[in-house]
Amino acid sequence: MPKRNYLCIQRSQPGKGEKPSPAQMQEMYAKFNAWKQKFQEKIVDMGGKLKGGGKIVTSEGATDGPFVEAKEVIGGYMIVSAESMEEAIEVVRQSPGVWMPGSSVEVREISTS
Amino acid sequence: LTTPKLVEHFFRHEYGRLVATLSRRAGVQYIRAVEDAVQSALMSALETWTIAGLPDNPSAWLFRVAHNHLMGELRQRTARRRILEQNAEEDIGTPENAPEIFLAGEVRDDLLRMLFVCCDEAIPVESQLVFALKTLCGFGIREIALRLFTSEANVYKRLGRARSHLRKHPPRPDDLAGEQYASRLPAVNTILYLLFTEGYLSSHAETAIRRELCDEAIRLAAILAEHPLGQAPETFALLALMHLHAARMTARQDGSGGLLLLEEQNRELWDRHGIQVGLEWLAKSAQGDSFSRYHAEAGIAAEHCLAPSFKDTRWEKVVECYSLLERIAPSAIHKLNRAVAVAEWQGPAAGLDVLDGFEPPTWLAGSYLWTAVLADLHRRCGNAQTAKRYRDVAFESAPTPAVKAVLQRRLRIGGPA
Repeated sequence: MPKRNYLCIQRSQPGKGEKPSPAQMQEMYAKFNAWKQKFQEKIVDMGGKLKGGGKIVTSEGATDGPFVEAKEVIGGYMIVSAESMEEAIEVVRQSPGVWMPGSSVEVREISTS
Repeated sequence: LTTPKLVEHFFRHEYGRLVATLSRRAGVQYIRAVEDAVQSALMSALETWTIAGLPDNPSAWLFRVAHNHLMGELRQRTARRRILEQNAEEDIGTPENAPEIFLAGEVRDDLLRMLFVCCDEAIPVESQLVFALKTLCGFGIREIALRLFTSEANVYKRLGRARSHLRKHPPRPDDLAGEQYASRLPAVNTILYLLFTEGYLSSHAETAIRRELCDEAIRLAAILAEHPLGQAPETFALLALMHLHAARMTARQDGSGGLLLLEEQNRELWDRHGIQVGLEWLAKSAQGDSFSRYHAEAGIAAEHCLAPSFKDTRWEKVVECYSLLERIAPSAIHKLNRAVAVAEWQGPAAGLDVLDGFEPPTWLAGSYLWTAVLADLHRRCGNAQTAKRYRDVAFESAPTPAVKAVLQRRLRIGGPA
């Protein structure tokens, strides 16, 4: 089966959930690395975390946004390669993007046709 | 692809180090801002390092990021305040212009300084302990609540008390000159002792969690003992007792997590190296005239560590140490422990004699410790009726299933009296 690429968009609800303690962070660090190692073949682009306070550009110009008041903000993205949506979902399901309470990841196949 | 590993407790210990260093630079009154900055830096590290890999010097990376966060926050505050007070001359201080709190010849170790800062007698001891766990050991609120068997709300309250005191009465550079430090040494030792006993005596089910508190206490006490200010016989005796207890910790539990009595423990499992380290500190603590409660307690622990078996323990020495302990730090629990040691040395009747006519304070009278010892001594004296009465009460008041199980064995509950 040919591999396809999937764009994964992580969203979180601002202010949701307690700040992790240093010990929890260390645990997350270890879990993240274990996950990365496990799926290294499938991760095309680790992507990254998106900084807050961007701009929204239209033909009319650029305005500020998105705002932190928004219910959900896009926090990061990555691209995974998989044979099917199910396989892509499995990579994401085990990923750090879904650990925090209130976070979700949207998985979309990148069309090549 | 390599997964860079960080040393154990890296995040927690970096938290403590950064909070200590930055609050020295900015002033302890900004402890909240400092802690927020350090928290943010650790979060950035988590997000960046997992994707880009570890920087060459993770500690330096964290320091830079936390420092920048803090400066940004304090600059904003100054600006806000200036607007509010219209050109007020007063500057609340930023890391660049804050006075250097340490001076040459004073305590250079930031962690150690922070320890002395939090052991301010104007702050209640339970608040000092929570503050030390949060700032020096890097535990979160929930983790502290779990370790101290209290609510998160209570932890916040205790922490708030320490912070508000330090905000209102920030230590000035000259406040913490050598003399001030020296006068706080007993308070510092008390906090380290509390930290250790919280871990050692805790009835927490997880050994790892108890062990962690003990290790933190040993880590901080070792830093203290390395510094000229901390180099007092009391500090050495404290370190001795910590090592001599910690060395026997794993042997206190059986394979399924049940508690084991001293006489039931496999002495082969005791950490010989740990005992050696403890004995070295004990020898060092004997240089000088002072004899503290830590000396007495370390002396007792050493007797147990050196005894080839429970039976062959030099009980007369243990009794002697408990007598000294009772004199230095009078407490009913020491009397009770002395009675137990006397019973091993001269028989159960002699043990009961120690407690004869003694009215225990309510906290002890209501504890299973008191009734369990009486049940045991009376049983061994052949007073079956009295023994039964005490052992029923002891069993009822046992705080955990693990303690209940020990009592069942020791007091022959269900077996012949």
